[in-house]
Amino acid sequence: MKVTVCYIGSSLLAPLRNAERELNRDYNLDLRIDAHNFGSPLSDLEWSEVDQGLSDADVVFVIHVMDGENAARLMPALEDYKARHRAVIVINCMPELMRRTRMGRLDISKLMRSRGSGEIGEVSEEQESAANGAKQKTLSRQAVQMLGTVGSWIGRQVRSKEPNGKPVRHGHGQYLKLIDRLPGILRFIPTAGGLRDVKHYLNIFCYFLQPTPANIRSMLLYALKEYVPDKRLQKAKIKIPPPDQMPSVAIYHPDASKLFESFAEYRRWYEKRSPKSKVQSPMSEKPALDPESTIGLLLMRPQVVSKTTKHYDALIRAIEAEGLSVIPALSTLMDNREAVSKFFVNDKASKVQSPKSKVEDRKDFGPWTLDIGLPTDRSRVSQIVSLTGFSFVGGPAMNDSEAASEFLQRLNRPYRSAVSLDTQTIDSWRASQTGLNPVQAGMQIAIPEIDGATEPFVYGGIPGSGVEPMPLDDRCVRFARRLKRWNRLRTAPRTDISLALVLFCFPPNKGNIGTAADLDVFPSVWDTLKQLEAEGYDVKLPESADVLRDMLIGGNAESFGSPANVAYRMGVDEYRRLCPYVDEIETDWGPSPGRVNSFGRDVLIQGLQLGKVFIGVQPSFGYEGDPMRLMMARSGAPHHGFMGFYTYLSKVLNVDAVVHVGTHGALEFMPGKQVGLSGECWPDRLTDELPNIYIYSVNNPSEGSIAKRRSYAELVSYLTPPIENAGLYKGLATLKDMMLAYRQATDELERERLYQVIDEQAQALHLASQ
Amino acid sequence: MTTKNDPTRSESDKRDLRVFTLYEQLLEIEQRLIPTGLHVFGRPSQPAEQTDVLRMIASFDRPEAGAHALPALVAEGLGFVVSQASNSLASPTEEELRQRERIHAVISKALNRLGEDGIDAAIQSLETSANVNALQSRPVFTLLENISRQLETNNEVEALVKALRGEFVPPGPGADIVQNPLILPTGRNTHAINPYAVPSAMAYARAEAVVNKLLARYQEEHGHYPRAMALVLWGLDNIKTQGEGVAQALWLLGVRPVSDSLNRVTAVEAIPLDELGRPRIDVVMTISGIFRDLFSPTVQLLDKAVRLVAQLDEPEEMNYLRRHVQEQVLNGHCDADEAMTRVFSNAPGNYGTNVNFMVMDSQWQTDDTLGDLFVTRKCFAYGRDSRGQAIEGVEARAAMDSALARVEATYQNIDTFEIGITDVDHYFEYLGGVSKAVEKLASNRPAIYLSDTLSPDGKIRSLAETVRLETRAKTLNPKWYEGMLKHGFRGVAEIEGHVSNTFGWSATADAVDDWVYTEVAETFVLDQEMLARLRELNPHSAHSLVSRLLEANGRGYWDADPETLDQLREIIGSLEDQLEGVA
Repeated sequence: MKVTVCYIGSSLLAPLRNAERELNRDYNLDLRIDAHNFGSPLSDLEWSEVDQGLSDADVVFVIHVMDGENAARLMPALEDYKARHRAVIVINCMPELMRRTRMGRLDISKLMRSRGSGEIGEVSEEQESAANGAKQKTLSRQAVQMLGTVGSWIGRQVRSKEPNGKPVRHGHGQYLKLIDRLPGILRFIPTAGGLRDVKHYLNIFCYFLQPTPANIRSMLLYALKEYVPDKRLQKAKIKIPPPDQMPSVAIYHPDASKLFESFAEYRRWYEKRSPKSKVQSPMSEKPALDPESTIGLLLMRPQVVSKTTKHYDALIRAIEAEGLSVIPALSTLMDNREAVSKFFVNDKASKVQSPKSKVEDRKDFGPWTLDIGLPTDRSRVSQIVSLTGFSFVGGPAMNDSEAASEFLQRLNRPYRSAVSLDTQTIDSWRASQTGLNPVQAGMQIAIPEIDGATEPFVYGGIPGSGVEPMPLDDRCVRFARRLKRWNRLRTAPRTDISLALVLFCFPPNKGNIGTAADLDVFPSVWDTLKQLEAEGYDVKLPESADVLRDMLIGGNAESFGSPANVAYRMGVDEYRRLCPYVDEIETDWGPSPGRVNSFGRDVLIQGLQLGKVFIGVQPSFGYEGDPMRLMMARSGAPHHGFMGFYTYLSKVLNVDAVVHVGTHGALEFMPGKQVGLSGECWPDRLTDELPNIYIYSVNNPSEGSIAKRRSYAELVSYLTPPIENAGLYKGLATLKDMMLAYRQATDELERERLYQVIDEQAQALHLASQ
Repeated sequence: MTTKNDPTRSESDKRDLRVFTLYEQLLEIEQRLIPTGLHVFGRPSQPAEQTDVLRMIASFDRPEAGAHALPALVAEGLGFVVSQASNSLASPTEEELRQRERIHAVISKALNRLGEDGIDAAIQSLETSANVNALQSRPVFTLLENISRQLETNNEVEALVKALRGEFVPPGPGADIVQNPLILPTGRNTHAINPYAVPSAMAYARAEAVVNKLLARYQEEHGHYPRAMALVLWGLDNIKTQGEGVAQALWLLGVRPVSDSLNRVTAVEAIPLDELGRPRIDVVMTISGIFRDLFSPTVQLLDKAVRLVAQLDEPEEMNYLRRHVQEQVLNGHCDADEAMTRVFSNAPGNYGTNVNFMVMDSQWQTDDTLGDLFVTRKCFAYGRDSRGQAIEGVEARAAMDSALARVEATYQNIDTFEIGITDVDHYFEYLGGVSKAVEKLASNRPAIYLSDTLSPDGKIRSLAETVRLETRAKTLNPKWYEGMLKHGFRGVAEIEGHVSNTFGWSATADAVDDWVYTEVAETFVLDQEMLARLRELNPHSAHSLVSRLLEANGRGYWDADPETLDQLREIIGSLEDQLEGVA
């Protein structure tokens, strides 16, 4: 017998394979599970495999499919093989697919109240009559309502945005509440009669909701037992255990044997962990779970429940290896506020400090009513890292970014969103020059950005052959180190913090140092330095912006023939020692140090050290004056001078953060994947572990987004200059005066005379020919 | 409305028409919004600088703030009938001018009152002078006051310091201030948009009017529809407008976007020809690397639209795309899949045409080089082939050459006045670059258009008109260059940058009149006093500016008189001495 599963996600395949193995072993079923990931639009070849899989399936599961194109292909196929399929069970999909559920006498499409609404209506008469007695009647009505809720909430999530564009915020809360009550109600529903199939659907749904390996096994067995008439199934006297129950939010840790439902419980365990555990390693400067060095992680609940957590585990360990503590919270798919409020916020403190703040009903998303200006000592974490791949509030079908950013703003902790490759394989990502496919780029990058997320780091994904997500170890380490550096900005004494402010110069020419769209860079930098000095950073502030500029473009620049002062000469040997990519760069640019930004055997680093703040000048692409290179369809590596500059920042100065000043530079446009970079991509190599803050024009969200995605920049927007009407001047103003005189003149001769003057003036101003 | 060539018009009517047409042209320059300086990070803007921008913000309906456009409210209050049918060639009558001036004066007065005494005074002013009731005017004044207050404070430096302390930088939208005042306060982490929301219903609706004007203008000048057009699509305007540029491409093809049940735009359907009422235009889309990255689902959508239209069973005179695809296949240029390729960008993970670098560094020798370079960099196909296999940047030079060879007009949507065509080098590298490529491949220079969709009446202009307007409103305008020169060193670099970007339009499209260079020379170089200022503030950029003028002459873009050239050469000699420390 055969079960075909069309699904999206990375946590289901492993439990499915496990169930297949166990069921065949226990019942000798000859069961085949044919699973297809619908994560991105399928090619004809891929589709023919799906079609093959559907053509001889006994039971079909369709799970989490939310893509119009794949749905449009799937629906006619389900229709074609209708006679073959004993049951079609659709869970958490878009409305038109939900209607394709067919189990025994249950036909959801008939239950839909109105076409296209995605809503499931009142109990049909048929089902009503099947229930006896008032209590039964109530229960059966509830069961059918429940089916309505689970069948239509995705459609409602979307529609709840209409018509005023504002999302209704309780759509999913209602769903969760009903889900909690589900098992209780189901116990009283008879297994026979008109409600039989409604009950089966809801039972299967209960198993699915907690996708532990045992529950997924039960889910499959349940469907087979009820809908596939097979002697082996009947003879086996199958007893299916009730669903494992799991908390909806909890704290997970790979070293713990169970989930923690409260922070206190987790803390007790965390503090008592064996000394072998890495969190107490010498690197750790702070006690375990110190709020200033604890990373709060948001995990996808299904991954944890189904025990497909290898990628999470590796990232958690990589973060701990940096001496940081972690609180990895599993979160509901739809709204992360509950888990964050419960585990990342010290709400005891909140009660003490703000007695008025109401702790709302947990099922209505928990106590996330935080005060504006939340005192920082209430947060238990210094950064939040979402690994869910969805919006912070809203889940897969919608995003309530307003609510998300409002919540995060009150918490005032940086929000990162890292990417697991769930709808493409690690192999396809490695091979691709694009990086993430359109679905991932839209869902896991563009939408979290609207919530305020940064650091779109790829840290794991589904391997080419394999059933569950695996970590990309090198990326986990790089990401963990970046988090560590960001943390240092919070914790280190200001006087110890070393910064680099990087200016641009395009086209490369002394006169252009400080290039930035709409921004007067030197006064901007000077004002910033002044503020940094006031904040306690170690800055040697020049007298004025003009002095700062003169120091930068003057100094020893002349003697090196370089546009700006040379702050450092990096000898070729040192460059080779510090930079692992020199050989690769040499294939493009010849032996180091090359001809750009070099002097003799040295790479020249242009800039100025002012206390612990370095003002640097980013080299340009280096091929502007080189027609041969310009004519190449594909750009090559950055030149030695460019690489040397960033090597200097991260390896010699070892700055704690880099601030790029103004729209825009060249780093983020260096070759590499478009989004979802790997360690092979030049912008990733150049940015290295440095936190990157980018002062960026507010009217350029497009190029700014490239900087966010390809150089992990956190943008700080700046206003455009004052704008005013152009007005008229010189000859144009005179012309207008003449015309006003013409308009006022009533005498025909006078008008004729003025016309001649106007015509002459217009011609003189070259307005004539138009 | 009577037209220009109406023989029945009297001499004085013709004269009036000419004067009023000129007058309209002057108003266009006069009222053009320009930056009058540079921003300094963290510094708020002065109230005196806000009036014009507030007026512009108030000239649009703002449904999100419940505000109606002020000019419309005032016109209605004064009982004026405002004609909606404005097109670029129309000239106003004396009566219309007076009405507009009256509206302008009423609004100016109300805005002054707003600045001095607040919302109630402004409402009162409008009620007295134009019978606009408070219910209607309050939302717009509330909005303006709010914007004004936000402009008067600035927390950018604090936001930077917050980021450096490892705190949360809240997200915010990115746009022009007139387009979306919600960009305030600045100091936030600017974000793009959900690509699945593109194009929005509003963008699609607005695009129809622009496309109709564009096609009407071409028809007026050429007597037929353009059979093929090359469009430049950027992330910039499509983010700010939720995809107006994308929607324009869809309209030209005659398709509409279709959303799935989760409100994601994932499909297209053809508008029936009888409803469309014109042929479907063949559209070659060159998309920036940035658009490709930020709108990857939209790239798929555009490709889907092309493939849908190319396969419609329609008469070839009504479906130019289908006709061209069939010709391409018959000519043996490419197979059917390649022939349907119309979405081109850079090689994956690469950006830019390099045309700007080549021009800025004066590295090109022959006239063909820039067009060739453009195609070399941009000939990578994106979409999905007929078997549903993703095409992720496959080099398709032959397909692009053969598609561009049929192009008769090139076009780019501009939705901003903050980033004008001589402000940055990207417009000429793209629109200029593709036009230069067409010029060679089609053996004919295409008609080149730009739209100006961030004005209440969305105009279409030719490239040459736009260059003239930009030059007059900015480069040669004392209000603009004195604003820049307040910023000293950087200001001179900005002036030089504008001249170089203008030069870029000569290099790629020969779209700059002689007088532009002549007046640039007179304003900045031959004026002793000005030259002295530039040399003092930033001799490096002054040198670049003079060299650029000489290059314009050397390359035949500027027919300067010998005397002027002698002077320029002398000046550049002395600048070189100054830079080398001789003088």
